[in-house]
Amino acid sequence: MEISSLAPSTTQQCRVLVAALLLVGAVPHAGQAGTPFPEQIDRIIDAAHLRDGVRPAGVADDAEFLRRVYLDLAGVVPTAVQADAFCGDSAEGKRRRLVDRLLAAPTFSLQMSRVFDAMLVERRVATIKSYDFKPAEWQDWLATAFRGNMSWDRLAAAMLQSDGTSDTEAAAARFYLVRDVEPHLLARDIGRLFLGRDLQCAQCHDDPRIKTYRQADYYGLYAFVSRLKHFRDDKKKLNFVTEKANGDVSFTSAFSGAMGETNPRLPGGEMIADPPVAKGKEYSVKPEKGQMGIPTYSRRLQLAQRLPRKQTTGFSRNIANRLWALMLGRGLVHPLDMHHPDNPPSHPELLKSLTERFEQTGFDIRGLLREIALTRAYQRSSRLPDEVDPKRPPDPSEFAVAALRPLTAEQMGWSVLQVTGRLPSRIERFDRKLREAADKQKTGNTPEKAEETDTQKAGNSERRPDDRNWQAHRQAYRELARELSSLLTVFSRLPGQPDNGFQPSVDQALFLLNSEQMVKFTKDFPLLDRLTKLADQPDELATRLYLSVLSRRPAVEERQEVARLLEGTENRDQRREVIRRITWGLLVSAEFRLNH
Amino acid sequence: MRNEPAGHQLVAPISRRGLLRSTLGGAVGAAVAGRSVSAADAVKPPRKLLLLFLSGGASQLETFDPKPDSKYGGPFRPIATAIPGIQVGELLPHTARILDRLAVIRSVNTGETSHFRGHYLLQSGRKVPGYPVLGSVMAQLLERPGDELPGYVTMRRQNPQAYTDVGDAGFLGPRYEGVMIIDGKPPANIRRPESVDVAAVTTRDRIRRLTNKRFLERRSPRSIQSYTESYQKADALMRRREVFDLEQESAADRARYGDHHFGRNCLLARRLLEAGVHCVKVAHHDWDAHFENFHWQRQRCLEFDRTFVTLMDDFRDRGLLDETLVVIMGEMGRTPRINYYGGRDHWGDAWSMAFAGCGIKPGVVLGKTNELGTEVTDGAVDAGDLFHTILAAMGLDAKGNHQVGGRDNPIGDPASSVIQEVLA
Repeated sequence: MEISSLAPSTTQQCRVLVAALLLVGAVPHAGQAGTPFPEQIDRIIDAAHLRDGVRPAGVADDAEFLRRVYLDLAGVVPTAVQADAFCGDSAEGKRRRLVDRLLAAPTFSLQMSRVFDAMLVERRVATIKSYDFKPAEWQDWLATAFRGNMSWDRLAAAMLQSDGTSDTEAAAARFYLVRDVEPHLLARDIGRLFLGRDLQCAQCHDDPRIKTYRQADYYGLYAFVSRLKHFRDDKKKLNFVTEKANGDVSFTSAFSGAMGETNPRLPGGEMIADPPVAKGKEYSVKPEKGQMGIPTYSRRLQLAQRLPRKQTTGFSRNIANRLWALMLGRGLVHPLDMHHPDNPPSHPELLKSLTERFEQTGFDIRGLLREIALTRAYQRSSRLPDEVDPKRPPDPSEFAVAALRPLTAEQMGWSVLQVTGRLPSRIERFDRKLREAADKQKTGNTPEKAEETDTQKAGNSERRPDDRNWQAHRQAYRELARELSSLLTVFSRLPGQPDNGFQPSVDQALFLLNSEQMVKFTKDFPLLDRLTKLADQPDELATRLYLSVLSRRPAVEERQEVARLLEGTENRDQRREVIRRITWGLLVSAEFRLNH
Repeated sequence: MRNEPAGHQLVAPISRRGLLRSTLGGAVGAAVAGRSVSAADAVKPPRKLLLLFLSGGASQLETFDPKPDSKYGGPFRPIATAIPGIQVGELLPHTARILDRLAVIRSVNTGETSHFRGHYLLQSGRKVPGYPVLGSVMAQLLERPGDELPGYVTMRRQNPQAYTDVGDAGFLGPRYEGVMIIDGKPPANIRRPESVDVAAVTTRDRIRRLTNKRFLERRSPRSIQSYTESYQKADALMRRREVFDLEQESAADRARYGDHHFGRNCLLARRLLEAGVHCVKVAHHDWDAHFENFHWQRQRCLEFDRTFVTLMDDFRDRGLLDETLVVIMGEMGRTPRINYYGGRDHWGDAWSMAFAGCGIKPGVVLGKTNELGTEVTDGAVDAGDLFHTILAAMGLDAKGNHQVGGRDNPIGDPASSVIQEVLA
């Protein structure tokens, strides 16, 4: 069912249907044959609304949906041209087509590389005096992985396995290296990020608040990584992850003084004994000065093999919940790393079916994001219905109204460059360069030869414009990243901390108002040139301006305000200055700052 | 030497200026009682915290816990203090004179010998990472709706790099991150750029407000409250940026506090605390004397001793000490053993720190180390206990919880507790 064409009456019918099913006790079960998966999701959420007497918000209008889905799947707001085209398109199925287009675009891989970088590295900076893998290499590795739609189990295994020596997956070692290969930090973050369980308190004693977080669980995870250390290769100027062949783990409770010993063990799983290794055969490569040791038996490789599987408690559930939170602004289990019996999911059945779906599709991240993007829950407006008092909005765990989410530092930065026109023009420039280079190569060949090549590469020829597009994006983003560094620093959350929602700080406001960088961003930009030419058509100017910055058309009073401000101007420079000020004013508005 | 017990300061007459200010503070406090402060507390002026952080690790043997007759004692002699029977190192003559206004702990055992981990441990009271440091905790717990200035300001130098900035607001988030004063410079972007004129600011603000107003149609007014507040605070900070300007203080005061980093920063700390900042941390650098320890300790004490006592007198005269807790600590102490280079190395097993000001029982010296100073023999405390004690002196309960992002996080480590002996 296409959501944009979903008439209110249809929604109403769905509710009546759900209500009827509830009455006869036949709760619609996920996995029901024939029902599209997004609809299965919505039925569960609708049923909860009926049960709790919650009135959900209506469908987001095109502009609202467009901006949101661009931010989530492309990492930037749409351009004015894209916004105009989408809102003017009256063909059926346009939302689905847009989602599919965004998922196939280069911006999706780039956006996912930033999302997963933020999720897995959490803005940490290694403190070991070291040569870490450059963040750019790691993000590039992630982007390439997402471009090939690498499944989550493979991504996880790559990170847990990499010691930094592989040709293709060396950068994945950043997960270990950025944490200084410090076993306690690793144990905690593997629990949090891969299994959804924050065992921090259990490092020193059984968690007094959460009965199922045992100290023994923490040390079971810890034992997988307790033998790891960083190894610095001064010649290659890089750090690697090295492992000792021995070292046992014991622990003492800070409360009771009780002691324990453990081998590697995943929470709820069996203990994994080290296989017997003959004396003298502990290492396949002996650790020596300047020589990184490789043990015959590696607990790290055990971890990489055993953790990313559906049999591991919490592995699939954690990521399904995180992907849901990525799109809806809140996990079904909230906080994301607090999966335990006393903190049940808001919609247990929904989390179960998302988890199962994710496992059935082979841990396909892109696939699951697509299903979520097509739900009514995702496409709801962030404005409350008339009957609901805005001072008493429904609880966020109901997913009855779209969440207001702060743009991440990256969404913020790239969107500033998008609306001012710098990003699109840079991509275009790279694209032109690459096209010219390709054309040159072509004309250099004889006609027959070119034909021959084309036939030979029939399979690839279709993908070549796509490759060029990818390269143009990658290069433009890479080059412009330098200009964003100060903005990213100010808007990033703190190292090693999960996102705590919207926490605007004074230094962010001061940055947006007074920083040299913002002066530079708003001084000369392609959009300003284009708009200044429209100064004698204030209505058209206002429309282009609001479409560019806020992805929507201006309201009547906003158009009037723009016209009023332009009225007093006498020459081109003054008009230009006024447009500059309005643009800056829109950039510092809450509407721009939030994904709504 | 003062004869009256320091506790009398609490009822001693305070200067007119101090009276005026504390009355105002009381009125504001009563009007806008913060969530962590009970209604009764809100009538009193809110307490403030000044953290004097001896970065690198001061030697307890040359300061608060001299061992003159031991083989590790070093060349300096102990001197008498305002507390009968208690001696400190001769490098602290001024501090010795007012020791009865301090509570000293000689039995700190943190076992931590890394600068990084020590800085974090002593400020957060935790070994495991991710917890907020004292300043951020204060910024959060003492926050009041009318606050214009940041809750926490932290001062350090730029170069050489010091280890003072490990740890921060942790899970409390960027709102409670310390505002950084580096080399005495005011925070970034606090001044309107010259290229942006007043008319531009007016238009920009007008558009921002108009857009926000429209955005709030059919949305919860609370949804963007913190965002609009951040702009109000930015305005206030720009308007009040002179609080970061030491030139506003008299030349006489600047001379009294000392013309060096530490002196200037302590004077700036006074300025900020009086203006309404809840917590200021001043780092005093270069105590890490692996070489020529005795030369370095003398150098450092020379600066510290005079400035600290100036500050203590000054804060008392202004009535500021009644509501301000002053904490002197570093990330560790120094080894009793003197190394080949005449230095003392990193040491966490038996060292000293001191308190003064509100909530403290003055004139107390807690704990003992053995004759060589290598071990705590009585009254051992760890970083978690110090954290609980600092909060208690501030009138706060570290047994409570931070409620952040849908979870409860114990404010202090549940395995630690308050050191009652040093509390009033």
